[in-house]
Amino acid sequence: MNILELCSIVFLVVGAIFFLAGTIGLLRFPDVYTRLQALAKVDNLGLGFTSIGLLFQAPELMIAMKIILIWLLTLVASSTISFLIARRAMKRGVIPWRAKEHIIE
Amino acid sequence: MILILRTTLWRSMFFTGVWWILIQGKTDTWFVGLISISLALVTSFILLPPNQYRFSFSGFAHFLIYFFASSLKGGIAVAWMAIRPNPDLHPNIYKITPRLPEGLGRVILANTINLLPGSLSVELTSSNLYVHVLDERQSIETEVRSIEEKIAHMLRLELKN
Repeated sequence: MNILELCSIVFLVVGAIFFLAGTIGLLRFPDVYTRLQALAKVDNLGLGFTSIGLLFQAPELMIAMKIILIWLLTLVASSTISFLIARRAMKRGVIPWRAKEHIIE
Repeated sequence: MILILRTTLWRSMFFTGVWWILIQGKTDTWFVGLISISLALVTSFILLPPNQYRFSFSGFAHFLIYFFASSLKGGIAVAWMAIRPNPDLHPNIYKITPRLPEGLGRVILANTINLLPGSLSVELTSSNLYVHVLDERQSIETEVRSIEEKIAHMLRLELKN
């Protein structure tokens, strides 16, 4: 195993951990806003690390550029969609979940 | 007139570049590409008419460095919240009055906030930006102000006070 393959594996594993954490957050978090946060953010990093991991294996420059472009397009789409879902939820009056016991400073 | 021509030229180059990368430099689907690029160009003129935005590459670099650093920091925090036994969430919604002028700058601001872990834009009106945060004990205001400065530098915009 050479150094490129090792880098690739490390980044892919970190990416997978972020995807797993995002999915767990999606299932555990209490309302639509917090779930959007868990899903969109952690998945963006997950996809970012996965893309970097795949870059180490890219056979030619064109494919490397394509991987980066796909990541950037996903970022833009993901961000816009989170905003649209959150705004729609606000308009429909979905009340954000609040923690019951607040720490008083 | 010169502005429209220049904008058309830059945007066509941009969309052609995106298409060229997506099809990995092959030339056999040029017809589909031509239609897609033309449609993208028309759509971009409807959504964002030609304007006087100037772009600073050094500002863009600063923005990217800041963006990746805080994505990583926030991403780890949110991932940890999701995994640990007690998530300890303290969500709240804050109203922030952007100092950036209306238009592209504010849209980039809202999108950047969305991509940064721990914060989510829920509404953007003509005067206010509403931000949902996962942990209200951390100041979102400071972070938004610092993103605003990076965007203002990148697009060479003036910040209002």
